[in-house]
Amino acid sequence: MSKVFVASAGLVQVGEHWSKSILDLMAEASLLAMNALPDAKPDRVIVGNMFSGVGASQEHLGALLASQLNLIGVPAYKVEAACGSGGAAVHNAFLSIKAEESDVVLVCGVEKMKDMEVGRVTAALTMADSAEYTQFPGGTFISLNALTHALYLKKYGISREEMAGFPVLGHRNAALSKHAMFKKAITAEDVLRSPLISDPIRLMDSSPVCDGAAALLLLSEKKAKELHAEAVEILASEVAANLFSVYERPDPLDYLATRTAATRALERTGLKLDQMDFMETHDAFSITAALTLESLGVCKPGKAPHDVSTGRFDLTGELPLNTFGGLKGRGHPVGATGVYQVAEAYLQLSEKAEKNQVKGAKIGLTHNMGGLDTTTFIHILRRAA
Amino acid sequence: MVNPISYWRLKDRYFNLVGSKCKKCGAEWFPPVKVCRKCGSQELGDHEMPHTGKLLTHTVLREPADEFKRYAPYILGLVELDNGQRLLAQIVDVDITSVQNGTPVRLTLRKLTEDGKKGTIYYGYKFTPLP
Repeated sequence: MSKVFVASAGLVQVGEHWSKSILDLMAEASLLAMNALPDAKPDRVIVGNMFSGVGASQEHLGALLASQLNLIGVPAYKVEAACGSGGAAVHNAFLSIKAEESDVVLVCGVEKMKDMEVGRVTAALTMADSAEYTQFPGGTFISLNALTHALYLKKYGISREEMAGFPVLGHRNAALSKHAMFKKAITAEDVLRSPLISDPIRLMDSSPVCDGAAALLLLSEKKAKELHAEAVEILASEVAANLFSVYERPDPLDYLATRTAATRALERTGLKLDQMDFMETHDAFSITAALTLESLGVCKPGKAPHDVSTGRFDLTGELPLNTFGGLKGRGHPVGATGVYQVAEAYLQLSEKAEKNQVKGAKIGLTHNMGGLDTTTFIHILRRAA
Repeated sequence: MVNPISYWRLKDRYFNLVGSKCKKCGAEWFPPVKVCRKCGSQELGDHEMPHTGKLLTHTVLREPADEFKRYAPYILGLVELDNGQRLLAQIVDVDITSVQNGTPVRLTLRKLTEDGKKGTIYYGYKFTPLP
C-alpha cells in the first residue's frame, strides 16, 4: 500500500460569491491547487458536495469539473455524505491512492448556498436528516442541534453565556485568515444579543450560509518522491456512521461516530490524542463544538465551555482549535468544509499558515461530520520528519 | 419534501404512529426498522406505538423551512413515548413561553403542510399536553 501525501491546496475565500457559479468556484479552487504543482497531472477527480441538485439544479459535478479542466478520460465523480461530503471526498481519494489505483488525485469540495432563499437552504440542510420523520413533522437541522444544546445545558447546569466562547474563538482566528468569511472579532455579548433561530441556538451560535470551494492535490508515495513533494502525509483517514437521527440514539449527547472514527485513526497511527499540535473540528454550532471535544476525549464531559474560556484552545494555547476560524469563522459551505479542513491542516504543517500559524506544528487532526455526527470523517496529518 | 405518494405510503405511520415490533424479542421501534436493534432479527411486523408519552426537551423554532413559516414560532419537542421510543414532533395547544419539559403529552392529528390552495393537505401527528 502506498503512503498518501498532500502536495498542494487551493482555497477560494468563503463568502457571498454572487458573480460565480458552482462550476466557477470548483474550477478556481482546482486550478489554484493544480498550478501550484504543474508537473502533477490528476489521474482521478473527486468532488465533495451536498446539495448542488436542489441548490443549482446541477448534479454530475465530477465530470463537469474534469471536463472544464480538460482532464478527459480520467475517473471523475462526486461523493456525498451531507455536511461530511468534503471529508468523504478526501477519504475516497486516500483509499484510491492507498490501493495504488491512483498517483495524483484532485479533490475538490464545493457548495453554493447563497443562490437559494433562506427557507430553501434550511430545507436543503435538513436533507442531512430524515425526510420522513424530521422534515415531515416540521423539524430542521438546526432544531435537532437545538434539542441537544438544551439537553446539554440542563445535564451539566451550563449557562448560555458559557457556550459563547466557541464563536468568539472562531471569529478571532478567522479575522487573521485570508480565506475566512468573517474578518471581525466578536464578543460573548454579540453572541447573546444575536437573534434566536431555534432556542437556545442564536444566529451567532451558527455557522453562516455561504459559498466556497477548496481543492487539494493528493499524491502517491512514488509521485511525491518524484516531485519532491513529501512535506505533509495523511497518516489516517477514518469514517464511522452513527444511528441516523439523534432521536433514535440511546444518548443524544454521545457522538459515537466521532468517538469511533477517532479511536480507529489513533490506533492505526499509534498516536495519542495529546500528541496533536492542533485540531480542525466541525463547529457548525456552539453545541457541536462542545460535544465534539468531549466525545473525542479532549475535554471531560460538561467541561468544554470552561476549557475554551481558559484559553486552552487559542492559537498560542495548549491545543489550538479551528486555527483559521472553523465553521463559524471561516464559514461552512457544507460540502466543501471537509476539504477546507484538510487544506488548513496542510497549511499548518507546511508552515504556510501565515498569521494563523501554530508554531512548530507537526501533527494535526481534522474532524468533519455529515449530519449531527451521523457520518464522521477523521483525518490525521503529519509533517515529514 | 413530502408528496402525495410518499404521504399515502406513510399514512399509518403519520396518523397512528405505526412503527415496528420484533417478532423474536418483542422490542418496539419508531421510526420503523428493518433489522431489530436489540436482537438482530429481521422478522418484524407493523405495530402501533402508544399515543402518550412525555416531553423530554423542546426548542422554539423561529426559522423553519418555507412550508412551515405560517406556524413560526412553534414548539418542536423531543417526545418519549410510554414504550421508550422517541420522536420529533410539534407540541401544540400550549404557549411557547409556558411549555414545560417533563409534561405528559398525547398524540393529536393535525394539519402540517399543504400543496398550495388546491393541492393535497398533509395531516400528521403532533402532541398536546395531557389535561
